[in-house]
Amino acid sequence: MATYLEKLRHFRQAFKQHGGMLGSLKQLYWTEELKVGTYVGADKYGNKYYENNLFFVGRNRWIQYAPQYGMDYDGSQIPSDWHRWMHNIGDTPPTAAPLVEHPWLMDHTENQAGTPGAYVGYKTTKPKIEQWVPPQSKTTQS
Amino acid sequence: MAALWRASKSGSSLLMHLARPAAVTQSRSGTNYIQVNPGDPSMDWKDITDRAAGTVFITELVRGAGVVLGHLFKEPATINYPFEKGPLSPRFRGEHALRRYPSGEERCIACKLCEAICPAQAITIEAEPREDGSRRTTRYDIDMSKCIYCGFCQEACPVDAIVEGPNFEFSTETREEMLYNKEKLLSNGDKWEPEIAANLQADHLYR
Repeated sequence: MATYLEKLRHFRQAFKQHGGMLGSLKQLYWTEELKVGTYVGADKYGNKYYENNLFFVGRNRWIQYAPQYGMDYDGSQIPSDWHRWMHNIGDTPPTAAPLVEHPWLMDHTENQAGTPGAYVGYKTTKPKIEQWVPPQSKTTQS
Repeated sequence: MAALWRASKSGSSLLMHLARPAAVTQSRSGTNYIQVNPGDPSMDWKDITDRAAGTVFITELVRGAGVVLGHLFKEPATINYPFEKGPLSPRFRGEHALRRYPSGEERCIACKLCEAICPAQAITIEAEPREDGSRRTTRYDIDMSKCIYCGFCQEACPVDAIVEGPNFEFSTETREEMLYNKEKLLSNGDKWEPEIAANLQADHLYR
């Protein structure tokens, strides 16, 4: 009986955390799940990260994708520093222990495959064989 | 006559009983067999009527529905990707990246050890001296459709330039997108450097 009461309490907490009826229904439509957890932090793209260690490893950390993504959320939208925490590689979130910063670091991009921004390969060397251009005499040119 | 026939029959069956243990190579008496299947159903009247009642009132359906209802409220054993993600190791060998020194100078010195050790021969390198005289690659191509993600390239690299980063979400729609060149690998490094550096740091005692 106590476990059922516990489940009911968790449900009520999750219901409250997602902002009542409308928010909970939206969340259910979006992620098919209502989970209650402590807010850990947000990355610079607006994704929010939550943790609840009552769940087993793999389910204990989750991401709330930024609202600008809508239904186009993707696993590759998690930037490098939070990726480490999300995948349980490290236990300290980047808010507690920031990772290295360099001026030459690039902004994170999601997997661009299938969009106009997709990577297209090109050669980074000069061609070894060049087309022969026949020598032209001055007389034929003029 | 009948008595004789009976005697011969009993004699033959007696012979059969004697011959059988000799013919069977493995004697049953010396082994410890354990009955794993449910065994024969009990034939007591009470059990027979119980089973008949179970069939008549379709209790299996009701019990099955009960199991389904129980699993509705059970915590799932699966993870809800992409909102939740599975645990990885700091040694995870995912998408390749070329790293830079903290100054921004690219690490690769075109020693071609990775190209030599690559068992799938997925790496192609061409090198030239740069304007300032330092030896750098002009071509660093990895055919990601050939790569078997063995991690030999990052183990061979003397300057930690080529690494297999933690990213595994780089699926493509065409095969051409899998032919990575140097710029793509360097940009991977520029994107993933915070995590790559932290993972190498986490593993530094074992390297």
